Amino acid sequence: MKKKLVSVLLCASMISTALVGCGSSETSTTEEAATEETVAEETTEETATEETTEEAATEETAAADGEGSVYYLNFKPEQDEQWQALAATYTEETGVPVTVITAASGTYEQTLKSEIAKTEAPTLFQVNGPVGLASWKDYCYDLKDTELYSYVKSDDFVLKDGDAVSGIAYVIETYGIIYNKTLLADYCALDGAVISDASEINNFETLKAVADDIQARKDELGVAGAFTSAGMDSSSDWRFKTHLANLPIYYEYQDKGIGSTDAIEGTYLDNYKQIWDLYITDSTCAPALLSSKTGNDAAAEFATGMAVFYQNGTWEYSNITQDGLTDDDLGMLPIYIGAEGEENQGLCTGSENYWCVNKNASEADIQATLDFLTWVVTSDTGRNSLANDMGFVTPFTTFDDGYTASNPLINAADEYIAAGKTAVSWNFSSIPSETWKDNVGNALLEYAQGTGEWSAVETAFVDGWKTEYEAANQ
Amino acid sequence: MEKSIKKYFPIFALPTLIAFTIGFIIPFVLGVYLSFCNFTTINDAKFIGIDNYTKIFTDETFVHALWYTALFTVVSVITINVIAFAIAMLLTKGIKGTNIFRTVFFMPNLIGGIVLGYIWQLILNGVLLYFERTLTFSATYGFWGLIVLMNWQQIGYMMIIYIAGIQNVPGELIEAAKIDGATSGQILRKVTIPMVMPSITICSFLTLTNSFKLFDQNLALTAGAPSNKSQMLALNIYDTFYGRVGWEGVGQAKAVVFFIMVAIIAVIQLGATRQKEVQQ
Amino acid sequence: MGVRKAKHGGILTFIFSLISILWVCPIVIVLINSFKKKSFISNEPFSIPTGKVFVGLDNYINGIEKIDFFSAFFNSLFITVGSVFVIVLCTSMCGWYITRVKNKFTSSIYYLCVFSMIVPFQMVMFTLSKIADMLKLDNPLGIILVYLGFGAGLAVFMFCGFVKSIPLEIEEAAMIDGCTPIQTYFQIVLPVLKPTCITVAILQAMWIWNDYLLPYLVLDLKKYKTIPIAIQYLKGGYGSVDMGAMMAMLILAIIPIVIFYLCCQKYIIEGVIAGAVKG
Repeated sequence: MKKKLVSVLLCASMISTALVGCGSSETSTTEEAATEETVAEETTEETATEETTEEAATEETAAADGEGSVYYLNFKPEQDEQWQALAATYTEETGVPVTVITAASGTYEQTLKSEIAKTEAPTLFQVNGPVGLASWKDYCYDLKDTELYSYVKSDDFVLKDGDAVSGIAYVIETYGIIYNKTLLADYCALDGAVISDASEINNFETLKAVADDIQARKDELGVAGAFTSAGMDSSSDWRFKTHLANLPIYYEYQDKGIGSTDAIEGTYLDNYKQIWDLYITDSTCAPALLSSKTGNDAAAEFATGMAVFYQNGTWEYSNITQDGLTDDDLGMLPIYIGAEGEENQGLCTGSENYWCVNKNASEADIQATLDFLTWVVTSDTGRNSLANDMGFVTPFTTFDDGYTASNPLINAADEYIAAGKTAVSWNFSSIPSETWKDNVGNALLEYAQGTGEWSAVETAFVDGWKTEYEAANQ
Repeated sequence: MEKSIKKYFPIFALPTLIAFTIGFIIPFVLGVYLSFCNFTTINDAKFIGIDNYTKIFTDETFVHALWYTALFTVVSVITINVIAFAIAMLLTKGIKGTNIFRTVFFMPNLIGGIVLGYIWQLILNGVLLYFERTLTFSATYGFWGLIVLMNWQQIGYMMIIYIAGIQNVPGELIEAAKIDGATSGQILRKVTIPMVMPSITICSFLTLTNSFKLFDQNLALTAGAPSNKSQMLALNIYDTFYGRVGWEGVGQAKAVVFFIMVAIIAVIQLGATRQKEVQQ
Repeated sequence: MGVRKAKHGGILTFIFSLISILWVCPIVIVLINSFKKKSFISNEPFSIPTGKVFVGLDNYINGIEKIDFFSAFFNSLFITVGSVFVIVLCTSMCGWYITRVKNKFTSSIYYLCVFSMIVPFQMVMFTLSKIADMLKLDNPLGIILVYLGFGAGLAVFMFCGFVKSIPLEIEEAAMIDGCTPIQTYFQIVLPVLKPTCITVAILQAMWIWNDYLLPYLVLDLKKYKTIPIAIQYLKGGYGSVDMGAMMAMLILAIIPIVIFYLCCQKYIIEGVIAGAVKG
């Protein structure tokens, strides 16, 4: 009977290994196509063998001889596919396994928190700025003596914790109000149009007049609304609770000559309300539907010519050109909120993507990660992928010779700078916490739907800042 | 005999016991301990006393989630059980196609919470579109959406249990009541319901705990939107724990409070069942 | 009288047929939508896809690629089958042991098991995932142990309840004939326990197959996803919600369950009833 039991157990374990085998071969055959699953064949093999003890020993020695591995927890879902491809190429060239995982939109902090507690924690992760760094500085490897740091153009693009270089920005991005040039030109050609050329829009009043008029004559123009739906689904709400909120914060900081604060006054909240009202009124959808509108919905509306204006940034280029829009159709305007002197305001340019290397990772892994990063910013494949496939403007000197990203949205940013306009810096990295953003976003949505008052936004914005700042800096 | 079996402890009980220790006892004890700590991972836990617990009740979202969950539990327990019982009564009358109906009604129960949530999100948002509303417009829509979803999922399961209970009622009893001139309403109240009381107890207990501990469906259907107002307790705990830096201890403390509430409900329920059994 | 009753029955059958159709409607609607172009789904969920709205199997192909559906499927299958097998085997043995060997230790195990049944998962979610990680249980094989541990309570409880009703005499007779306890268990007890095994297996399988949070927190998501995790990932893992792929994957997630259900309907329903009566 004992024998029978043993044989049953043996059978079971055989079946299980066979199934695991199945699983991993499945992974490797579909791995090219899979956007998410690990690229490194080594890793899958390793797990398969981990279960069969005899082979585990040999595998372990192989791992000890190996160069370590890289696990990148990526923040930008838009570029997930390109990162997967880049990781695969690197693994092919060097044999070093690189895994790229992209956190779901709006859940980066959550994912990072649960992943970094694991034994196989990310070796490379991102923080969004000084506030993010405050939470994660204990995990940041000092990048001061690395090759990567030597390529950074200026210290404006790094995050410092004392003397240590904790984070390095890898992409500089720009956002504003993307507009459909063709549709706007069509509008200008209409009788009684408020403007005759897009360049006349240089303050909030004109923007509002144009948007209102387009909205009123949307059938004439064949659009569904002036602005795309201001979706407040988690895949889209960051456009307003973070990016749009940057403008009132920026102007308040400018007035006071500061770069961060423990208590915001909300002096430009009325302007925030103005622009938000404009977004939700002159829109393709009723405000009551906003809560379930997604980022995809907005992008699709813009890409199919149902709306003229779309607040977003350079990273959206590939998404909005999928449905037939060409480079000639695209332009970008600054976000005017009705502040004093905004005629000279440019687009919002900055970075909230800083690479940090996990200092708690094993030495081999840290080295592998640094090597990978160096490869990304120096090799032709890496530079080509970053600049051309992902469309990143990077702060690295290595990209100067021929690897400058170019698309109409990036060019628009350059044009504004060339015209002497002041770029708006990204001050949302000084926002005290993710909870602040969530609360402001919720209040914005409730106000839009008519289930809440604007005062709730003010409370979340001003009082929330103070409480969250205190909670974060206890 | 007992002695000879006893020696086989390592084969019979040990595997389960080891797994049980790893999978339940240690996490539970550590969980209770951590609720009195400030921590980001287990290794850096600092004992801080009951601070976490006092923070819980200053957190409006928790209090709101508590009431929301309580209300949801009451409504769903009533609707599910009443409808399931009614269907079970009708399906035991021997109408044609009973088996097919039973099969159909039970099926949603096998579909997982996440999948269910997205199915109903599509459908309810589609219906609400005609009224220019969405599920996440206000907590009320989310509430009734969840009720519909839970009814769809659970009615079949409860119905099966009720059918089994009703079929166990001896036919003679009902015949006798009929001969005595009882109306069908009286038979239902005086004969059938008391006889299926055990099924009712079980079903209400199952729906009660299922509703109170609901997580997946809540996450998939509304994820707490808008403004965390359609957030139930389990999701609130999860969000506090993983969503807010520095609030891990509070999240764990909330979980302990949650556990205590579930335990109280279970004990009350158990007591009620015992009492019924004594009466019978 | 007889005629009237039949008529009455006819109306009921008709009404129930209508309700049944309504009952499967949600799934049919999702099925229809899974053939629509993604941008048309949330705006007109109740229309039939025609013309350019109809995209054939594109959503399926796209979705399968996106979330690597088949590897998620095999992970789910492996974890469910493995866990259920291990749970039934181990807990039935344990249940028999602690019922037959009566002392303070075994009865405290019993009460701990009963106790564990009421503990919500949120109570242990962090500590359990942390321990699973430390012990390297973050793979489909390891998670089986976690499921055995966390699912043991209910299973042991049910087996204990049933073992109590088995007369001791048969086992004693077998032992006197020279069977070891292991032989006694596998040859005498286990066959008698078969109905309970089926009940436990079905209840556990329904739980494990659909479970989201436990595998999400325990598994190494870089390598393994289960179906619920993969579907939840569609919701925002790529910065957007691809409704088309979502619909297609919902259907693919439902199909195996429906097939399984239709094949083993008898056992499932009996299992549920038995589970309710004993639990």
